[in-house]
Amino acid sequence: MVTRINIGPVHPSTHGVLRLVADIDGDTVVNLEPHIGFLHRGVEKLVETRMYMQNPPYMEKLDYVAPMSYDEAYVATVEKAMGVEVKERAQWVRTILLELQRIASHLLWLGTMANDVGQFFTVFMWTFTDRDRILRLLEEASGARMFYVNMRIGGLIRDLPPGFDERAREVLSYIEKKMKKYEDFLEKDPLFTERMKGVGVLSRERAIALGVTGPVLRASGINYDVRKDNPYYVYDKLGFQTQVRSDGDCFARYKVRMLEMTESIRLVRAALDKIPEGDALGMPVKLILPSAKNRMVTLSRELPRGECLMYMVADSQRPYRLSIRSPTFINLAALKEMSRGCKTADIFAISGSLDLIMGDVDR
Amino acid sequence: MEAPPYEKERFLNAEKEMSELVRASMSKYESKPNVMFAKLSEVSKALSKGLVNWSRVRSLWPLQFGLSCCAMELMDFGSARIDAERRGYLFFRATPRQADVMVVAGWVTKSMVPEIKRLYEQMLTPKYVIAYGECATAGGPWWESYNIIKGIDQVLPVDVYVVGCPPKPENLYAGFMKLQKKIGGEIED
Repeated sequence: MVTRINIGPVHPSTHGVLRLVADIDGDTVVNLEPHIGFLHRGVEKLVETRMYMQNPPYMEKLDYVAPMSYDEAYVATVEKAMGVEVKERAQWVRTILLELQRIASHLLWLGTMANDVGQFFTVFMWTFTDRDRILRLLEEASGARMFYVNMRIGGLIRDLPPGFDERAREVLSYIEKKMKKYEDFLEKDPLFTERMKGVGVLSRERAIALGVTGPVLRASGINYDVRKDNPYYVYDKLGFQTQVRSDGDCFARYKVRMLEMTESIRLVRAALDKIPEGDALGMPVKLILPSAKNRMVTLSRELPRGECLMYMVADSQRPYRLSIRSPTFINLAALKEMSRGCKTADIFAISGSLDLIMGDVDR
Repeated sequence: MEAPPYEKERFLNAEKEMSELVRASMSKYESKPNVMFAKLSEVSKALSKGLVNWSRVRSLWPLQFGLSCCAMELMDFGSARIDAERRGYLFFRATPRQADVMVVAGWVTKSMVPEIKRLYEQMLTPKYVIAYGECATAGGPWWESYNIIKGIDQVLPVDVYVVGCPPKPENLYAGFMKLQKKIGGEIED
């Protein structure tokens, strides 16, 4: 007999206000229907009524776990529309900040993921303490703890503060040490591994067909990363390596994110070594900007959750239309297929491994 | 057959006489009110009332309920750096029936209003609401949006507003301290 149960929209494990309607037969999920839209506020419409550089705060609130990456993606779109080159040092600083943001985002994911599969609030406490260290670094660089708004056209609001280099290295070595601890703790724990291995398998073919991106795609064995295949800023100078696993289950997604964090630590170190001297300041906000040259612009960026595609039809002083292909919205579509046939408790392991941010899904 | 009126009167008087007799016999055994005991009971009542209030102030259980950005800072509030439990802002409960405080963290959409109302109604009295962040206070940056409620105070009675976008976890800590003062009667409404 098939029973229909309702999960959410307020539920501790759905990471936000996601509503799931599950048809279960015994303990096996027959069908799962995600209902979204509880956080919809019409960003794409609001953006059209504002000047170009009034919009980054709105863009940051799309993905509130990694705000800097959306900020950067939007500002880079505007730069492309205006044909402005980013200053040499600003490119390096942006790379450093983006990778630090990626580590912070993945650390938050690790804590909440461990919460979902039974490591109740142990790993969560550790990762949040570590994440705070990175947030403090970003606060030094931008002046804010969560919504930075520190990208300007052609550069940044300010250069890295003096002494940032040493402090960043200190934090990175600390996090590298802690990463080993997490891996030891979680991978030797049968509770964690048994709930992750072989759960929510997404095959290579289905991953391509569903259009998932980011760590979810790379865990299914496809070597695709925008930073490698379509490199921007200085990623090609740093010897970036894509992290791929072929299993396609929750454990593979966990492993890909852990390896990505290690890779990000390496990238930040390499960038701190090679960063050139110079000017990193962008144009001031109040300056009336040069009007857009290119009418239609598309730009893709690798966010912590996957590939974001920004499509902008530019007007002279404000975006005429901005369309965002957000990674989590597409990844959420895979949840239905992945959770078909799994146990009821595994729904949250799978949805947790997708790293959903409802603000990004609903927009 | 009905009794004549004088008969009725007689019986009534008999009843009165009887009750008077009983009262007179009882008065021998009646004890005078104990002044000491009365005072003690008053003291204990006051004490217990104070004790309830005291414990209510020092064990606020927030509801685990995050909407958007501010929920990240709410999670940070519950983590090890702030260590909120030392002042009695205890573990975040997942069910509304076990919670005292609802922290509305994030923007409230029109589709979310019935859910929030239902959560609030499920909480047991006394219950308190903290509006955390710009969006829950006054709509924040989305005040022009067609799908956003301009502040949670249009729906629920709010006790404390914590402003900022997003406020730091320390600000929420200060907001909780203010709520404690309000429950303890140090701050008037």
